[in-house]
Amino acid sequence: MDKLLSPDFGVMALTVVNFLLLVWLLHKFAWKSLIGALENREQQIANDKAAAVKAREEAQSAKAELDAKLQQISDEAAKKMQEAVALGLAQKEQLLAQSQQQAQQLLEQAKAQIEAEKNKALDDVRKQVAATALLAAVKITGRQMDQTAAEKTVDEVLQEIKDAGSARA
Amino acid sequence: MEVSETIAHHILDHDLGIMLGAWHLPITAHTLTMFGISVVLLVVCILMSRTGKSVFMRLLHTLGEEYVAFMRDGIVIPGMGIEGKPFLSYFCTLFLFILFSNLAGLIPQMKTITSNIAVTGALALCSGALIVYCGVKFHGGWGFVKTFVPGGTPWWLVPLIFPLEVISLIIRVCVLAIRLFANMLSGHMVLLSLLLIIFIIGQMSKIAGAGSAVPAMGLEIFMTLLELLVAFLQAYVFTLLTSIYAGLVIHSH
Repeated sequence: MDKLLSPDFGVMALTVVNFLLLVWLLHKFAWKSLIGALENREQQIANDKAAAVKAREEAQSAKAELDAKLQQISDEAAKKMQEAVALGLAQKEQLLAQSQQQAQQLLEQAKAQIEAEKNKALDDVRKQVAATALLAAVKITGRQMDQTAAEKTVDEVLQEIKDAGSARA
Repeated sequence: MEVSETIAHHILDHDLGIMLGAWHLPITAHTLTMFGISVVLLVVCILMSRTGKSVFMRLLHTLGEEYVAFMRDGIVIPGMGIEGKPFLSYFCTLFLFILFSNLAGLIPQMKTITSNIAVTGALALCSGALIVYCGVKFHGGWGFVKTFVPGGTPWWLVPLIFPLEVISLIIRVCVLAIRLFANMLSGHMVLLSLLLIIFIIGQMSKIAGAGSAVPAMGLEIFMTLLELLVAFLQAYVFTLLTSIYAGLVIHSH
């Protein structure tokens, strides 16, 4: 048991030398390159991470810019749409007014035409009636009237009928 | 041979009696095992540092990088801070050397060199030297001496505090050696004792000896697994405590 607890200083010295030599050899031939590789890899990861963060920020900035442009385009489109609707409404009103005016004009023209046709027809009827009456009068009286006098008489009768018609109206 | 003699025979170091002229060389079974472990460590670590094309070499290199990263982020920087980075090689070697030395005892016919107080004492001596070197490097010679007296200590307490702090540092280093030595020795002794139980009972009755073999072997397997755990744990504890003690010296005010 005594031997167990009393250190052999020769072994101790040899262990110190062996261990320190091992530390030096491993530092030179193993740990140095492993630490270097690890640090390079970590540096690469850090660079990649920084690049990814930068790319993300750029993408966010570009997205914000695009969003702003999109909003602007959307606003412009809405504004143009409103203008187009207003213009369309104005044109519609204008066209409607024009159509109504044209229709009114056509109606009035038609009415005037009808009135003229009616008057012409009435004149013709009156002339026919007057001529028939004059012919009947000539046959009854047995007298001949010259053409000019006959026409004058007819015109006078017609004028009287017209005047009577106007007075009744 | 007595039981205690058998155990002592297996545990104690044996001088091979090699002479260099009149000078007796300290070549023993433990030192030979230590040389073997050193060679194996050299080969393994140099292979780990190489980047080959084969899957095995790449795997080994990745393992090496992960090991270095673990030592740096798990032991050196938490214990010593960023100032400990230049000493990373020392800690990487220390952990693997102790681990391989602890595990060597689990291989038949091999010796647990960390059950030798001279070996653990030598490792603690190296760690103690590192602690003192850190103190001198970061505080200067006189600055390091001054760290043994905490700031604000009354002058009349200095003669008491200073030797106490110096002894405290020496004890810490000695405890490093004793803890590793005691843990590895006790584990090895328990393993041997369990095996010898079979023979002791067998001497009294062969049937009882054969009957005791089954539970003794079960316990033996359990203890071997426990020793495996202890081998890792003690290597970790020794390395971590060295780092913490060095850190205490570096960051003492």
